Amino acid sequence: MPKKGTKSRKGTDDEPKQEEKNKLPEHLEVQRTRVVCKGDAPVNTEGFQYAGAFAAMGIDNSVSADKFCKNFKVVVNRLTEDDMEFDMIGIDASMANAFRRILIAEVPTMAIEKVLMADNTSVIADEVLSHRLGLIPLDADPRLFEYISENDVPTERNTIVYKLHVSCKKGSPRLTVKSGDLEWLPEGSQLPLASPAQSGDKQKTYTSFSQSQKDILEKPLGVKFKDITIARLGPGQAIELEVHAVKGIGKVHAKWSPVATAWYRMLPEVVLREEIKDADAEMLVAKCPVNVFDIEDLGNGEKRAVVARPRACTLCRQCVMGPTGEVMGPTVEQVELRRVRDHFIFTIESTGALPPEMLFTEAVRILEEKCERVISELS
Amino acid sequence: MNAPDRYERFVVPEGTKKVSYERDTKIVNAGSFTIEREDHTIGNILRMQLHRDPNVLFAGYKLPHPLQYKILVRVHTANQSTPTQAYTQAINDLDKELENLKQAFEDEKIRYEERPKQGY
Repeated sequence: MPKKGTKSRKGTDDEPKQEEKNKLPEHLEVQRTRVVCKGDAPVNTEGFQYAGAFAAMGIDNSVSADKFCKNFKVVVNRLTEDDMEFDMIGIDASMANAFRRILIAEVPTMAIEKVLMADNTSVIADEVLSHRLGLIPLDADPRLFEYISENDVPTERNTIVYKLHVSCKKGSPRLTVKSGDLEWLPEGSQLPLASPAQSGDKQKTYTSFSQSQKDILEKPLGVKFKDITIARLGPGQAIELEVHAVKGIGKVHAKWSPVATAWYRMLPEVVLREEIKDADAEMLVAKCPVNVFDIEDLGNGEKRAVVARPRACTLCRQCVMGPTGEVMGPTVEQVELRRVRDHFIFTIESTGALPPEMLFTEAVRILEEKCERVISELS
Repeated sequence: MNAPDRYERFVVPEGTKKVSYERDTKIVNAGSFTIEREDHTIGNILRMQLHRDPNVLFAGYKLPHPLQYKILVRVHTANQSTPTQAYTQAINDLDKELENLKQAFEDEKIRYEERPKQGY
């Protein structure tokens, strides 16, 4: 029995033991947190997601929302106008994949949907020209517009109208029609739908704008890149058309996809299981095409290999293969290639309608909305 | 063309419930949720979130057919919980995590933009 006023050390002695007891053996911890890439194929790809995976060992594998919030971290590595790269640490592959899928197919953008062809004497067929126009990225914020359904009338709130009127004069050289030739019509369509009953009547067009889009938008609308070739016209050829752009998602057609591509990879981890020295070290450094390894001078003529840039590793597996591609050689057993299971390097390349950081925020919002829907409508 | 309209993949038809639950008749505390007009995006994270719950004994999802735009999520729980409770808990946790993720991303973006000013 300890004296009054002195602290009992019993509890503090037991705590490290308890912690030690509730720790996974090293080989299991590697299986749980890493994907090990062998010379022929990766192993332990599934992971232990089930909360009771280690219940027999007295270890709780469950993850609460609070635990997630405590461990989660984001690090932005690169952010430009068109693309960004950032690390998401502490999330599951399923969530990273959900963001990737949403970015590609569910974040809305504006794209050309209807092409009203008045004249096309170029060598390009109407439908090919329409398809090419549809894929042109527009510089329009989709959040300022509403979706349009089949029965809706095109208004200033759901449709953007552009016109293209180019012709190549006879005797002049060939003319290249670029995306910059598309001219925004803030007042709506200019193509007459039918001739007016009386000369005084207002001409009916394909859209019914109640006000100019200049009044409701802060900046003029156009195309993101003005140098995309649409067609080439020979002497005497002309194209006259009007296009209507509407809001949509990539699930319906790829032209509405806001990203050129969005992808992720797990953080590579290169582990040297034992020291690699001298000639073997030189050979290992020479083997790696992306310079993951470096030589460290130990003095007295000795050198050893060190992992200098693990992030650059593309998992080509040259370092764990022999000279002719077989899984052998002096460095095979000494080098282990791994991927960190909960560390994702995410890259987003935007087509230009929205900046990449905005795209990711939108993707998170869309996923939140999906979650809201699948719980609020549970009867 | 007999191909279904593309919008059918995400527009729930009138008179169809977005989510319906069917209790398993043979196993206690087990059942299937049918979520209309959803795919792997929500199915996989829901399965993952259910696996994290210590009261969930089994969780899995499947798309019955590529042209049937719905997913089936099957859940089996321990006696302390029910599939509906586990499902609700999983979605609520997911919401909380996403809110935290969004905030962390916004904060990091601001930090990144301030880096050059601080002379990094």
